[in-house]
Amino acid sequence: MSLAVEAISLTKQFGQIRALDGVSFNIKPGEIYGLIGPNGAGKTTTLRIICTLIKPTTGTIKIFNQDATKQPEKTRQIISYLPEESGAYPNLTGLEYLQFMAKLQSKPDTNLKATIDEAIQICGLGDRLKDKAKTYSKGMKRRLLVARALMTRPKLAVLDEPASGLDVLHAYHIREIVKSYVKEHGVTVLMSSHNMLEVEYLCNRVALVNKGKLVVEGEPKALKAKFNSENLEEVFAKVVGFA
Amino acid sequence: MLKGFTTILIKELKELMRDPKILIGMIVLPLIMFPVLGLVMGFAVQTAQTEAQRATLLVVDNDCGNWSQVFVGYLNSTMNVEVLNNTSPQSVIDRGLLAQYNSSTFVVIPSGFSDNLTRHNAGEWNVTGVVNAYGVFNGGGGIFSGVGGSTVTAVIAGFNRAVAPDVVAVSQSSVIKGTITEGVSVSVLSGLLLTQSIALPITIMVMLTYAMQIAATSVAMEKEEKTLETLLTTPVDRFAILMGKVSSTIIVAGVAAVTVLIGYNYMLGSLSVGIAGNSGGSVDLVALGLVPSVGGYILLGISLFFTLLSALALAVVMSAFSENVRGAQALVGYIYPLIFIPAMALIYLDVNSLPLAIKAIFYAIPYSHPILAAKAVVTGDYGTVVFGIVYVAVFTIVIMYIASRLFATEKILTAKLKFGRGKAKQHSE
Repeated sequence: MSLAVEAISLTKQFGQIRALDGVSFNIKPGEIYGLIGPNGAGKTTTLRIICTLIKPTTGTIKIFNQDATKQPEKTRQIISYLPEESGAYPNLTGLEYLQFMAKLQSKPDTNLKATIDEAIQICGLGDRLKDKAKTYSKGMKRRLLVARALMTRPKLAVLDEPASGLDVLHAYHIREIVKSYVKEHGVTVLMSSHNMLEVEYLCNRVALVNKGKLVVEGEPKALKAKFNSENLEEVFAKVVGFA
Repeated sequence: MLKGFTTILIKELKELMRDPKILIGMIVLPLIMFPVLGLVMGFAVQTAQTEAQRATLLVVDNDCGNWSQVFVGYLNSTMNVEVLNNTSPQSVIDRGLLAQYNSSTFVVIPSGFSDNLTRHNAGEWNVTGVVNAYGVFNGGGGIFSGVGGSTVTAVIAGFNRAVAPDVVAVSQSSVIKGTITEGVSVSVLSGLLLTQSIALPITIMVMLTYAMQIAATSVAMEKEEKTLETLLTTPVDRFAILMGKVSSTIIVAGVAAVTVLIGYNYMLGSLSVGIAGNSGGSVDLVALGLVPSVGGYILLGISLFFTLLSALALAVVMSAFSENVRGAQALVGYIYPLIFIPAMALIYLDVNSLPLAIKAIFYAIPYSHPILAAKAVVTGDYGTVVFGIVYVAVFTIVIMYIASRLFATEKILTAKLKFGRGKAKQHSE
């Protein structure tokens, strides 16, 4: 069976800054894989490379056996990306936004109505979808965007900090959406987060990234056992020599 | 003193002075714009004076009497004068005598002039000698047009002081596109054209700055809200994203161009009424052929449209180098002198009267062209308009190509311009 994501020795140089330094990891289909690390560690750069937004300086990235650098158009047909702290178009209603994005992401055989109905169900915003996005709270906006990212049932959903900055209830709702959606539809999810509890709850496997390098990788339970830690936060602190 | 006032004031001043938008708009722009305008105006004054000194006044003496010879002698003492006899005014134009003598003004002394002066001096005060001054109206509309007519008036006033008060009167007429229009002076027409010249450049200036702000904000907002990142990961051609964005602004630009033309046409119609000529009647610009034809309006519309398009495309490109709306608006601000300087300068100056180097600079700035076109369509100089349209279209294509290359690569997300450090930088997470 082919891997969902195969990252081989990824490096990315921005002028004098080396944002990624030989990052390699694999993600199996149907897995929820978490990238965790501090700000500037290289998480977003990795996600952007996987989503064909930027190219690695060196290294290879394969998505379901397709080289994302060489075949970005084909890769875009099977992925969906949710950038960190992204917004919706303020003057479109939530429903109009979903319709717009569904049209852009659809294939010729896509049932648009079914896709949008699915998004309506995922986000759970009900009648508020008829209101302009600028009237939404941060949590409502994020629910709309997560629904947008999942509605087309992509083979790989890349979620950058999906629940960052949200209150407990909205964050809980989003985590539940992701977990149940993967279970139901077998979608592979690659996510990044600062929230170690969130990652521990959602992810089958995690990779700890620091200063552009992948420092350790494994199942949350195994990592905690290996580093004799109570949670992933402690694991991370021990790995980077902070504790 | 209010508690905290000084602290807040210092903080506010730091914030304001460090904002590039304010720095450009309120300090750099006036510092650049007004000296440049002054320089251009200085050149124009110098050129007008030089030309006036070199100019020859053509005098057609159809009277050939004693007084006409005295009058010609007086003119000759103050100006370069060439004298012709027994020639009709239209014949002067048709035979190309003005070009031959490098003159833009000619004076006709009608037969009976000497008789009238003799009778006036004999005590018939109500009888005066009238000379007809004809000035060529070239449509440039600068503040120095009509200099020829004013000079003749001044010289005749001098003659009257020397001989007898009000013994000679001058009737001013214009030569428009090779045809004589009696009783309408070049300065009246130039004044009219100047009125038109103020409205259109200011409208274009406002329209261009607004359009650029809107286009830059549109792209920058997508970057700031990260909706652009989402769009770029969908299976959509990136050129389609760019074209979708530019096309929507093209439609807005098209509507704006039509709106301007409707308003401009209405304004020209209003100006034709109630502006009196020498003869006491009103000056009808339509009858004089000094309003654009239907074809002229279409060309002017195309010129406006392409200029707006080029400005919008440039705004899209520039905003690609900013991270947020504020940055995009600041970057676009660097273009404003290129909009303001030609607009302000061409209100007052006829581009054809400028030295070649300055003229070339104005022609090189794409935003000059609709203003030049507005003057050119009045005089039927369609070549200038078409040249402008082609030039701006080529400029737009180049900008669009750069924009498409930007959208095709990661530079649309990573490129960032930092003025002061001198070059484009890229940023990471």
